[in-house]
Amino acid sequence: MADAGTEVRTEITANVWQVRVEVGQAVAEGDELVILESMKMEIPVEAPCAGTVSEIRVQPEDQITEGDVVAVIT
Amino acid sequence: MTDSPDLYAWKPLVEDLAERRQRSLAMGGPERVERQRAAGKWPVRERIDELFDPGTFTEFGQLADSMDPVLAAKGYMAADGCVTGVGEIDGRRVAVCAYDFTVMAGSMGAVNEHKTARMRELVLRQRIPIVWLLDSAGARIQATSGSTFAGAGALFREQVTLSGVVPQVAALMGHCAAGTAYIPALADFLPMVAPTSSMALAGRHLVKAATGEDVDEFEMGGAEVHTKVSGVADLAVADDAECLATIRRYLGFFPAHNQEAPPVAATDDPGDRRIEAVYDIVPTAPRRAYDVKKVIELVVDDGELLELKPDWARNIVTGLARVGGQPVGIVANQPKVLGGALDVNAADKAARFVWLCDAFGIPLVFLHDVPGFVVGTAVEKQGIIRHGAKMLFAISEATVPKVSVVLRKSYGAGYFVMNGTAYEADYIAVWPTAEIAVMGPEGMVNIIMRKELDAVPEGKERDAARIAMADELRKNIDPYIAAGHAQVDDVIDPADTRAAIWKGLQVTRTKQVPRPWRKHGVLPV
Repeated sequence: MADAGTEVRTEITANVWQVRVEVGQAVAEGDELVILESMKMEIPVEAPCAGTVSEIRVQPEDQITEGDVVAVIT
Repeated sequence: MTDSPDLYAWKPLVEDLAERRQRSLAMGGPERVERQRAAGKWPVRERIDELFDPGTFTEFGQLADSMDPVLAAKGYMAADGCVTGVGEIDGRRVAVCAYDFTVMAGSMGAVNEHKTARMRELVLRQRIPIVWLLDSAGARIQATSGSTFAGAGALFREQVTLSGVVPQVAALMGHCAAGTAYIPALADFLPMVAPTSSMALAGRHLVKAATGEDVDEFEMGGAEVHTKVSGVADLAVADDAECLATIRRYLGFFPAHNQEAPPVAATDDPGDRRIEAVYDIVPTAPRRAYDVKKVIELVVDDGELLELKPDWARNIVTGLARVGGQPVGIVANQPKVLGGALDVNAADKAARFVWLCDAFGIPLVFLHDVPGFVVGTAVEKQGIIRHGAKMLFAISEATVPKVSVVLRKSYGAGYFVMNGTAYEADYIAVWPTAEIAVMGPEGMVNIIMRKELDAVPEGKERDAARIAMADELRKNIDPYIAAGHAQVDDVIDPADTRAAIWKGLQVTRTKQVPRPWRKHGVLPV
């Protein structure tokens, strides 16, 4: 599975606030994929590389913990 | 008449000496050296060659042996399992104690302990840094199983004497237990070679016997544990080469001792370089997080930061860098982790880093974006008060030049511990987005306007009222009020942050702070 792309993980435990991309969308390195909310702060999860979003594994209001995969980029 | 004796029979003597040297240079023999390599570790002498400038190493005690009658049957113990001496890093002298795992598992015996004691004496007299390359099973139990142990342990006391006098580095380059775990704990800087090293107060066999716990060295004290969970180590590195290069780089920021100025480097990076890229990194929207490391990389010379403890207490960033060639210690809140709020580990990490820089005259630069300390039952049980006090203590004590830049929020005790106005801050520049206050407006509403708020019907109406009241209070949180009272020194264009820090360091470089005499303070730890 993992060889099918780059797994983008959250570095923190948070609630998912917004999903900013769709499956199939092309992204550049540094684009915001998802915005999390934690400690009253909005924390963007950025694309670590350019590519196409092949999977989004979260939706708004999900609770996620450090290390969870948010999206996959191929 | 018999033949007259040869009065100048040097050849056999010199040959014998050369042969003895060769035996020592061969370490634990080809088989054990090969095993060392197979384990992904370099033989000790190659480590020393890599650590020092070529041809600069002067060895002490190369011909040492265990001299232990019990071990005599096992043959010669090359250098007694620990290579010691003095070499140069970028032309500056540094002493080394490098344990050799191929000789009695690098264990600490009477002779090698005498050798390392000699290095500790030497660095104290010469006032030069000391580096430990640790790859050692700990005490040589075969030799110290009796109560002569009562006489042991001077090394730790001597390390404490050296602390803050000369830089001490202890690199974990193998599995280290007990004695060789305390050496790093008492040193200033602890890199760990992630694939091959660990440290623990007891090795796995002792742990199994004492507690029944069946774990391997990595689970108990590997880099994953010590650079991410315990915070004991400073940095995980990939291999021996990176470890030794990192030690050289780290020492490049430090003076040889605490009465020398840190080495200023030549640089082509202008001190007043504007950093307009910062406009795209830091949002003006106060709730939006960002990665403060990107700001640091813009600020420092050539974008080079040697971050310490990068994977532990990530809500605060600490690291060594240069601004205009001058070494500085950077302390920056990290909004993208915990919103930059300070918890017990962040306070601990920052306090130790401030003490490190202050001990060796390295100026401190603080980048504020902090909502304050985390509050609540969980952190109170962890002792947030004493850890917070520790950070207050460290920043209050520090007499090196201290420059602050307030990027966005800096609330409450967060402002104090980040080198606020009252903490002998030498230069404070704030951005137009700076919010310096006792707490954030949302928190304030709940205290000073609680009665008014309670009068509003609960639910959406009250939430709206809370936001309106907070917005009203926010009007008093204005950098131009702080600047108007001259409580901060300037409001700056964020693109001039590097220039402000550089100028702040220039104007405060001869700082002197006399303190009343005391033996030492009583540290909250």
